Amino acid sequence: MELIARYKHMLTMRHFEEACLEGVPTGEIHGELHTGIGQEAISAAMIGTLRSDDALVSTHRNHLHGIAKGVSLRSLLAEIYERETGLCRGRGGHMHPFDPKTKFSATGIVGSAIPVALGYAYAFSIEESTNIAVAIAGDGAVNTGAFHESMNIAGAWKLPLVILIENNQYAISVKTENVSATATLSERSQAYSAWGKTVDGTDTSKVAPLFAEAAEYARTGNGPAILEATCYRFRGHYEGDHDSYRSQEEKSIAAQEQDPLLITRRQLIDSKVASEKELDQFASESKKSMTDLLENIRQDPMPDPSEVSKYLYC
Amino acid sequence: MERDETIVVIGEDVGKMGGVFGASRGLMTRFGDKRVRDMPISEMAFTGMGVGLCMAGYRPLVEIMFVDFIGACFEQILNAMSKIPYMSGGNTKMPMVLKTAAGCIGSAAQHSQCLWGTLAHLPGIHVVAPSNPYDYKGLMASALESDNPVVFIEHKSQLHQKSQTFFNNRPVPDERYTVPIGKAAVSRVGSDLTIVAPSAHAEHSLAASEVLSNENIDAEVVDLRSIVPLDIETLTKSVAKTGRLLVVDEDYRSFGLSGEIVTQVFETLGPSGLKQFFRHTMPNIPLPASRPLEEAVIPNTDSIILAAREMAAAS
Repeated sequence: MELIARYKHMLTMRHFEEACLEGVPTGEIHGELHTGIGQEAISAAMIGTLRSDDALVSTHRNHLHGIAKGVSLRSLLAEIYERETGLCRGRGGHMHPFDPKTKFSATGIVGSAIPVALGYAYAFSIEESTNIAVAIAGDGAVNTGAFHESMNIAGAWKLPLVILIENNQYAISVKTENVSATATLSERSQAYSAWGKTVDGTDTSKVAPLFAEAAEYARTGNGPAILEATCYRFRGHYEGDHDSYRSQEEKSIAAQEQDPLLITRRQLIDSKVASEKELDQFASESKKSMTDLLENIRQDPMPDPSEVSKYLYC
Repeated sequence: MERDETIVVIGEDVGKMGGVFGASRGLMTRFGDKRVRDMPISEMAFTGMGVGLCMAGYRPLVEIMFVDFIGACFEQILNAMSKIPYMSGGNTKMPMVLKTAAGCIGSAAQHSQCLWGTLAHLPGIHVVAPSNPYDYKGLMASALESDNPVVFIEHKSQLHQKSQTFFNNRPVPDERYTVPIGKAAVSRVGSDLTIVAPSAHAEHSLAASEVLSNENIDAEVVDLRSIVPLDIETLTKSVAKTGRLLVVDEDYRSFGLSGEIVTQVFETLGPSGLKQFFRHTMPNIPLPASRPLEEAVIPNTDSIILAAREMAAAS
């Protein structure tokens, strides 16, 4: 995939998250909201490598992964905006999207995506298919028992599992380097006879080939792979987080140096693929289409309280 | 497993050994080591695998050897298996059977619990606890064909018991049949008192009722078979007739099945519908190891007889 195409996906992702942010002060999104602003390069890097019949199991910070997997933007945004027209009819909300069509799902519990992805990987191995299961993990999830148990099983049986670690350096307030026994998170792959590499996750042009390599490794029967992509979370852990554990200086440096959209934009201009004017044009088109989508969703009905028990059982 | 290729069995020692109680003996030889798989001691991972297998179109039977070990995988039960059908707005089914063995075998606080009340408390799952071989096979067939997650609770004390020694020893046909989930059985008809219990204690209640019949106490025994959905209709029909209810529950007393049964009976029949009730349960203490201590807290046939006698004397 050309870099310009990935850039456009990143614009969609950024503007999707900005559309979500709008719903917090208005109370339209009335619970926690975790956005992936600053982490777009990683999700965009999966596009083109992920197949429609691969499975992707994500986390509490899942919107960008859903977009990368091809989940309908409208259904996903409507779910986040708690509408009956949402992906899960407003029963799941932003942390719990389920889309069987694209084999995309998520969980709000840190680390718990990994065993579920392992189940998909086992299913693919029973079927002897070339599909892979991708679990997204934050740097926090890597310290759960679920990570270890799942990687051990995947390593023992060479299951097609890829764990994509988004290391944004903080598990809420706890710095990764203060709680990790290893300098990198990917080097833990050695304990499971797995492929493991670390990449600068703010540069999608660097992440994409390595994600493709990890996916190919798992797809061709070699067993599991761990790709650690380092990045910076631009917002608090959730909207409303005081975020006092990170200094203003640290955050402003990150905004200048670690913004994936700025990094790719600079590359596109430097390599003369697109002019500043053209890129501005793409951005304003993307922003407008997301604003239009949000206005459209705001007309959608809310779920009917008389149906609150519906879907508990089949 | 013959009629449905999507059924897979995963758990510790379920394959080569055929389960620590022999429940899956011969399955690996018959269906291969992909559909019947021995797992490492990683309950969290393989219970989550069950969730992923459901999403991938399978019907996994996940065995947690003892219900006491459920803490190790409770997250996947609590937040995934039980909730995903609802959270997905009905777009994702969870046809998973979580088979586990409960009940006292003299193995103290960490290997002899029931915990069905803990599991039944969670919305979104069905919980069954058969008391005899016929119901076991029929409920297992129902659980495996259900599109809902089912926790299937065996009683450890019954898993090495010969079928002909059961009180309720209805012959088990070779062919497949189902026993419906959510339907209790009146296993003895009586007029003076309703004794209700799940699992092995439905058997003990039958044994007790035979002794009681010699003392002019004619007990009706309701074998719950399913804890969720609770068959309140069968139960209240019996209590409406006898007016007296003895709940026998090997699980912890507080905030559990026994209190739920009494409440639901009151809610259905009204305060005047029940002349007398008594809860004969395990108290809220960890199960002690020493035999006299254990015998003091686990209901058995004799203690059920005593409880029924005391009710009769007080009425």
